[in-house]
Amino acid sequence: MLTDPLAWAPVSTPSQPPPSTAALARFPAEVRDAYERLRATRAPADLRIVVQAALRDFMPKRPGAPVAAPLADELRLIEDLGFDSLAVAELVFFFEDLFGVTIQTQEILALRTVGELSAFIAGKLAAAPAPA
Amino acid sequence: MTAPAPRRAVITGLGFITPIGNDRAGVTASLRAGRHGLAAVEFLGNARLPVHLAGVVRDFAVESPSCRDWTWPARYEIARETLRGLAPHGVFALCATQQALADAGLAGGVAGDEHTGLFCASAGSALLLHHQLAQMHAVRGERGNPLGVVNSVAGTLNFTLAAHFGVTGAVCGFVSACASSSHALGYALDEIRLGRLRRVIVVGAEEHNAETVLPFAAMRALSPQRDARLASRPFDAARDGFVGAGGAVALVLEAADLAAARSARVYAELAGWGQSAEGHSVAMSHPEGAGLRRAMEHALADAAVPPAEIDYVNAHATSTPVGDRAEALALRAVFAERGARPRVSSTKGLTGHPLSLAGVMEAAFCALAIADGFVPGNAHLVTPDAACAGLDLPMATLDFAPRAVLNNSSGFGGSNVCHVLRPPQQ
Repeated sequence: MLTDPLAWAPVSTPSQPPPSTAALARFPAEVRDAYERLRATRAPADLRIVVQAALRDFMPKRPGAPVAAPLADELRLIEDLGFDSLAVAELVFFFEDLFGVTIQTQEILALRTVGELSAFIAGKLAAAPAPA
Repeated sequence: MTAPAPRRAVITGLGFITPIGNDRAGVTASLRAGRHGLAAVEFLGNARLPVHLAGVVRDFAVESPSCRDWTWPARYEIARETLRGLAPHGVFALCATQQALADAGLAGGVAGDEHTGLFCASAGSALLLHHQLAQMHAVRGERGNPLGVVNSVAGTLNFTLAAHFGVTGAVCGFVSACASSSHALGYALDEIRLGRLRRVIVVGAEEHNAETVLPFAAMRALSPQRDARLASRPFDAARDGFVGAGGAVALVLEAADLAAARSARVYAELAGWGQSAEGHSVAMSHPEGAGLRRAMEHALADAAVPPAEIDYVNAHATSTPVGDRAEALALRAVFAERGARPRVSSTKGLTGHPLSLAGVMEAAFCALAIADGFVPGNAHLVTPDAACAGLDLPMATLDFAPRAVLNNSSGFGGSNVCHVLRPPQQ
């Protein structure tokens, strides 16, 4: 007999484990602060800070070489920033963990630019349950 | 018509990230001086564990399951593209391989060379595998690190190093526990002899963390000593287990004519190898070392070197009561009972036992001994076990160049592999 009620949950119903901020520990304080504000207010400016930091961090070909200027919205992840499909998948995994959301493969494949990624994450956050 | 001369293979490059040094000069100095690389460790924050020492790698920090936390010496550049797929021991291995290629005069790399292959050996990363599977269970399988397979399973070294160095000849991994990298080196020789490859980079690596070391405490295979001089003392009557270790060694083996054509510096020739299985126990050596004896005989026959020409044997001896005794008896059968008396030592007194890495690491030590003209002594040996009667076990390093050297390895399941090395033929 099954005693774990969760064992009955269908696979298509995400269990939405709580967000994990462990992955943010390596980022500068301003990024962590922006994330905290983002959880409370969902201000676009704060989301931008977090997305930009993550993008730079997951660029596969530029280890530790910070790009001074903000990454423009029209920059393409693969062609302009050197991402490959694995790095895009890593980035998505990072956001899933950070915000406690689930992102489908088809959704990832549609993301081509910095702006599309930011808008997509903003949409996911808007659809997620309000923070406690 | 005469048959073509058999293809010979020589060692032209060595790279070391080991408890006794992170380059050739450092390792040679440690071997000559008998300087060990064991250090105090505490696993899982538990001082009550009966494991107090390990052979640790200096100047690297790869304890975290996140590659973002890792640090390594600045002279090695590792792009995120590569780092994301590496296990902690992969960082050691990448640095050792970079070193070995530069040492072989191949600093420009081997990318796209269809005659160069890569054979690797490691146990994978239990640390990352455990971390990632725990995470998978925590989110009920709904997400995970996209690089979680390639950075953790056995084979992680082959995947990541082949991609990073652009290897196109062949890439393969070997899993026979503590004989793994010896198998890799043996089969590398065969591939060159068969003409399938002209050069093989052979890499062995292991982590030294709770996940790799503590399971051996459960087997009661580790020494509980706190004093390094008492902990790893192969062949000593009072030995009480091995000391775990980690690191990486890379060795470039290439066809002798290729090495000659590019005027490469040659450390030694890998003259032959042999192997055997014991069909006896999942974990224990055959009590008389029957399998290891046959592997030694096969290697000597393959190299056409009689026992009397072997001046030095780098023993597998890990400092366990059963294993060292079995090897001593096998050595007596192959050498002493035929009137041969090579010097025998186990360098694990200095390094501890790095599992899959041991075989290629010790083959590299043998190459250094031949090229640099010395025979490492038995560090920490005070009173040889009675089973060693008739064996010549020097305590200190000897200053002479061995004519031919035998390198022994044994792994779980009764897997035994031996190599014969000798100075390059003129």
